[in-house]
Amino acid sequence: MAGNDTNVEPPNAPNMSSEWQVTGNNTTNTSIGMITIGNPTVEISSCSSASMVDSFCPPIWDQPINGHSLGYCDMNVQNDASTSSPVRAGTVWTPNAVLRENMFMPMLPNSLPHFPADSGFIERAARFSCFSGGNFSQMVNPFGTHSHLGLMQQPNEALIGNASKRVEVSKEGSLIGEHGTEGSPFKNEKKNEIFNDDAKNGVDLSGTQSDEAEFSGRGGQEESSGKGIGLKKRKRTEQKTVHNENNEAPQPPVETAKDANEIRQKGDQHPSDPPKEEYLHVRARRGQATNSHSLAERIRREKISERMKFLQDLVPGCSKVTGKAVMLDEIINYVQSLQRQVEFLSMKLATVNPRLDFNMEGFLAKDILQTRAGLSSSLAFPPDITMPFPPLHPPQPGLIQAGLPRLGNSSETLQSPIGLQSALCGGFREPTSQAASVWDDELHNVVHNGFNLSAPLNSPDLSVSLPGHTKAEPHSDVEVEGLYPGIVCNVR
Amino acid sequence: MKARMQNSSSSAALLKQEFLKKWINGLQTYTNTKKEMTILDRKNAIKLSADIAIASTRNFSTNWSRAVMADVSKNVDGSSKIVTEKILGRKETCIIKCSKNIMRKSRLLAHRRRAIRRTIGRTSVKAASAIAKELVKKRTRVLKRLVPGGKQMNEICLIKETLDYIASLQVQVDVMRNIANAADHQCLDSTERSLL
Repeated sequence: MAGNDTNVEPPNAPNMSSEWQVTGNNTTNTSIGMITIGNPTVEISSCSSASMVDSFCPPIWDQPINGHSLGYCDMNVQNDASTSSPVRAGTVWTPNAVLRENMFMPMLPNSLPHFPADSGFIERAARFSCFSGGNFSQMVNPFGTHSHLGLMQQPNEALIGNASKRVEVSKEGSLIGEHGTEGSPFKNEKKNEIFNDDAKNGVDLSGTQSDEAEFSGRGGQEESSGKGIGLKKRKRTEQKTVHNENNEAPQPPVETAKDANEIRQKGDQHPSDPPKEEYLHVRARRGQATNSHSLAERIRREKISERMKFLQDLVPGCSKVTGKAVMLDEIINYVQSLQRQVEFLSMKLATVNPRLDFNMEGFLAKDILQTRAGLSSSLAFPPDITMPFPPLHPPQPGLIQAGLPRLGNSSETLQSPIGLQSALCGGFREPTSQAASVWDDELHNVVHNGFNLSAPLNSPDLSVSLPGHTKAEPHSDVEVEGLYPGIVCNVR
Repeated sequence: MKARMQNSSSSAALLKQEFLKKWINGLQTYTNTKKEMTILDRKNAIKLSADIAIASTRNFSTNWSRAVMADVSKNVDGSSKIVTEKILGRKETCIIKCSKNIMRKSRLLAHRRRAIRRTIGRTSVKAASAIAKELVKKRTRVLKRLVPGGKQMNEICLIKETLDYIASLQVQVDVMRNIANAADHQCLDSTERSLL
């Protein structure tokens, strides 16, 4: 509460100026809280958190001030597009200064028929003074009424809202400007008006009235909706709510200074993240910072973790893995192994098929068969299956069909030794058949020793040898070549 | 989960067919052009056709597929152009060339961004969380190297692209493996016959 003097003055203090100076925590929070993506809600929470900090020690007016600051924050964000600098300036104000200066007078909406003014205001001030004493609930309840007297109510709710620090996440990324369409409670409307005037008078914002109203309405709504200890408890289970808060009825703000303090203490400020390009409504969880940057960071983190979950499904053997680093490790291994497999297979095909002739029909039919087999592990024999590799040998449907069951075999371990052997044999068609027989034995051993095409993708063997092989020019060392049909190309 | 797997497998089958068609299409350009090709040449041709084919199955909506095509078009080798045209058609080849420029520009921007970030300075905190973050960062860097076009993506995009890339790689590997096995079986049978 540094820098907060207990300067509580009646709202209609004559010395109201339109200057606002927010210092201390407010400054840091609010300025940092400005997400360039224009997340007004986040801004609100940051403002509110800041103002909360300032508000609790000093009595009364701080809370309404917080509401104001909240509103100003809202306006700031709202008018981000239009006026950024004045908004920022507007956010810099000490609660006390605000109180002193003008606060509610400028906030008196022109549109409001009458301001219950000083008397009512003072009443609430008196009530608010009990805030830190934890009697907030008493104060809060009366604010659930429709009335212009709700002027104080709104800041109060905003305050409470700040305490609970809830901002909603709507993944649709609806613009804050759309708040106007949301069913905002009466309070918000009033708040809009109030803040509207406030903004106009105090901060010299050039934003449109409706925008400000919408925004502050939204802000107020958000603030007021997440309130109360009970609410907090309920919402603790909510992680990220996608639904628009607009539809929620504003909950009676019930807050205690203690809670707010706790929340304040738990808040931490993360370094700013690169701005996003859409408006996001984020709901802050209980006990979490509502600093705009930390919220943005949290959004980002949640997006990442969400996508990591998809990756877990995709990458085999990752279901039990938790933690980003390990997951990333697995992903890297998998991607590397897949890439190496592609290299290896293309080399294999190069050896098998001297002229790169592929019988489209045959391949398609085969592939259909194979994919089907792979899917259902049942064999289907397309009637029109013809022999692939016409240059290799005359069509032999019987052989194909004999081979297909093997292909369709779900255990690829069976296929690969066979495939390897045949690849080795096939590759030898280019060199002499004598060499083929010579190589055959050794490679046969090698094959059975460990090569497995469908082996765990991150098997070190696969990863280690293949790149070397694909680039290796003719060797004569079988041992060096190790396990792969890549050896075949070295035969030449 | 099962239904989801089945759905994905059926769509994977479609993808496989599409990839296979395009791949074979691209390979056919080689059957007519050159007669003498070393194994390495053949392997490169196969791989190139496969890469272009698998990238085109994504219709270049993903970053990595665009990056793959940009890399391919970097090669002054005429054969790659021929293959590209064969697989994609003339229109898309032009689009690919445009996207190459885009990739280059985004790469420059990324360089500038990274340079700025580096100048901000680093603190050497040795908390466990910091170490964990370092690990994650290292691995992210490695992943960026692996996924084509990954260098210019932020983390969220990177993971998204990795997802897509892994799926495509799986398709590619499956198809190639099936073809290779089929070829092998044919060879095996024929050589058995000839040896007998």
